[in-house]
Amino acid sequence: MEPLIKVRDLYKIFNIGSNKVYALNGVSFDIYKGEFIAIVGTSGSGKSTCLNMLAGLEAPSKGVIQIANKRIDRMNEAQLVRFRRQNVGFIFQSYNLIPSMNAIENVAMPLMFRGVGHEERMKAAKHYMELIGIGDQSMHMPNQMSGGQQQRVGIARALVIDPQIIFADEPTGNLDSHTTADVLDLMKRIVSEEQRTMVMVTHDPHIASWADRQLKVVDGHIVETVINESSPIEIKIKEENGEPPFCEVTGS
Amino acid sequence: MRLYDLFKLALSNLKRRKTRTFLTILGVVIGTASIVVMVSLGLGMSQMMLKSYQDEGSLTMIRVYESYERNDSSEKNKQLTELTDDNVERFRALDHVVEVSPALDVSVSAKCNGAESDFTIRGVSQYYLSQLKLRECGEIPKKDQNELSLIYGNQILYNSFYKTKTYESMEIDPYKDTIFLTFPASDYSEKRSNSDSESDTVKKQKKYIIPVSGILSGGKDDWSENSYNAYADIDTLKKFLRKLYKKALVPAPRTTKNGKAYTYYVYDTIYVFVDDMNNVKEVQKQLADMGFSVNSNMEWLESAQQQLGMVQMVLGGIGGVSLLVAAIGIMNTMMMSIYERTKEIGVMKVLGCDMSDIRNMFLFESGIIGLMGGIAGLMVSYLISFIINFLTSDNGESVSMFIGYSEGGSLSYIPLWLAAFAIIFAIAVGSVAGYVPAVRAMKLSPLAAIRNE
Repeated sequence: MEPLIKVRDLYKIFNIGSNKVYALNGVSFDIYKGEFIAIVGTSGSGKSTCLNMLAGLEAPSKGVIQIANKRIDRMNEAQLVRFRRQNVGFIFQSYNLIPSMNAIENVAMPLMFRGVGHEERMKAAKHYMELIGIGDQSMHMPNQMSGGQQQRVGIARALVIDPQIIFADEPTGNLDSHTTADVLDLMKRIVSEEQRTMVMVTHDPHIASWADRQLKVVDGHIVETVINESSPIEIKIKEENGEPPFCEVTGS
Repeated sequence: MRLYDLFKLALSNLKRRKTRTFLTILGVVIGTASIVVMVSLGLGMSQMMLKSYQDEGSLTMIRVYESYERNDSSEKNKQLTELTDDNVERFRALDHVVEVSPALDVSVSAKCNGAESDFTIRGVSQYYLSQLKLRECGEIPKKDQNELSLIYGNQILYNSFYKTKTYESMEIDPYKDTIFLTFPASDYSEKRSNSDSESDTVKKQKKYIIPVSGILSGGKDDWSENSYNAYADIDTLKKFLRKLYKKALVPAPRTTKNGKAYTYYVYDTIYVFVDDMNNVKEVQKQLADMGFSVNSNMEWLESAQQQLGMVQMVLGGIGGVSLLVAAIGIMNTMMMSIYERTKEIGVMKVLGCDMSDIRNMFLFESGIIGLMGGIAGLMVSYLISFIINFLTSDNGESVSMFIGYSEGGSLSYIPLWLAAFAIIFAIAVGSVAGYVPAVRAMKLSPLAAIRNE
């Protein structure tokens, strides 16, 4: 089995005055199709920087990021936009719905960027909203919905382009614990049912435990990797490759 | 992204900030309206001027006079620059010349119902006569009629006859009233020795009643180059004069060195008609080079239009300044909106919206501001133009007298091309003003979407 995402010796160095700050200090790991990965760490650990680089929102200082056999660290901004449009769904902490559009238009928006016609994209949006269980709220404006509902719209929007990878940046950060559980269950169900790959960033170890595999980041190093042994996809990877997914654990 | 979607997105963004959009559009409205109104004033004035020149006489006509600034007055040169039939033929041979008409002037005194007048009978060619605008009932004197007949200029009838004693102006209707014409006595006689005394000559003067062939169109207040003269066919006039003055041909003929009257006609003016207004200048120059003194209405029109062109530029410039201010307003609005929507733009970029689409979306927004402002501005311009024309027309007598244009026409004139230009220009101004903000939006980092406030 070939990994979908390959990261090798990834560095992100910020120059603050004359000091160099290592936000990410050489991490290497693989992610396979169908996995639900959680990158866990405290604030400032470099977990968000790592996610941003995987999504092509920030350029790495050094290192290799290969997604579906494409070197995204070598792409320019226009290519990255195109890459995201074709392959990547994104779930934000603060939902980031467009306030002037209703729910279904928000869901359909990424398809609009692809130039899909109005009718076709509304059909696709409707399908995913029903899949997620908010089919009845398609005409609501974002400010008429609760946080949990808005995040579901956000999830539907991430799914609508049929992406290979979904990135989620603290997707439950603004939700109460009850809704958090609902949303995480939903995300997990989507990943396993639809055979998606999801990379989620969180600071909360409890939330991270929903994932198939956790990468714990401290000061720019991956210090521990936790595999959920009961997860079907992890079992499958181990069976096929004879070893667990590659992840270089460094530091203390 | 589809153009339709871009357009809809831009429109909905504008709707979100109605007040600000409205105020920005208002700026464009004022800018567009001031440019259009200013230019329309310039155009209206120029049109009025053209019309008034056209009323006064043909713009394709050149008047040729004998030049009097001759240093070498040798006999030969003199003959060359005299306005003779030979020269008429020479002019006719020039390029672009359609027709040449000599004008033979005879001043006459007229008496009618106890009122007197002096005017000139001008013998001209059939072509010249055909250019005259007659009242409906009249007709042009035929070429080969035996008897002289006249076309009266309208001003002769309205403003030239005065009662001998009271100096009271009198109107004459030549169809009803009988006009007695007296031709001047010949101041040439072949035998100078026995010239008659003045009183004798006066006594001898015979009164003629000459039939009316027509009257120039125009009322009491219409003036033109032609309205103070009476017109006749030149050949008929020559025939008539020959009976009066015998060999002298005209009342005051030129004489050769030995005192004999010329045996050919020397005209006061020759009119040269050119095929097109644009060729007038060229023909005029050729005639001047031949040693004649020339002028044309076109010449005056051109210099007047040059001056008016300056006025137009100043007017347009004033309008332009207000549109410039509007453009800065658009830029300001777009900048504000980009700062407000930084996060939204970031989200769109994260979700895969092309950079060029983001730029175009903002260009559309500023372009729509320009378009709406342009359309509304144009409507305002038409309204202002209407008001100006209303005030300067007969309904606003006092204003029109102050401005000095009252003869029909409109002071403010918005042709279709100006309307189209105004709207396109407003869109262009909007897009140009929106370009810098749009590029800035395009270059915003998608990371803004991730940041949480």
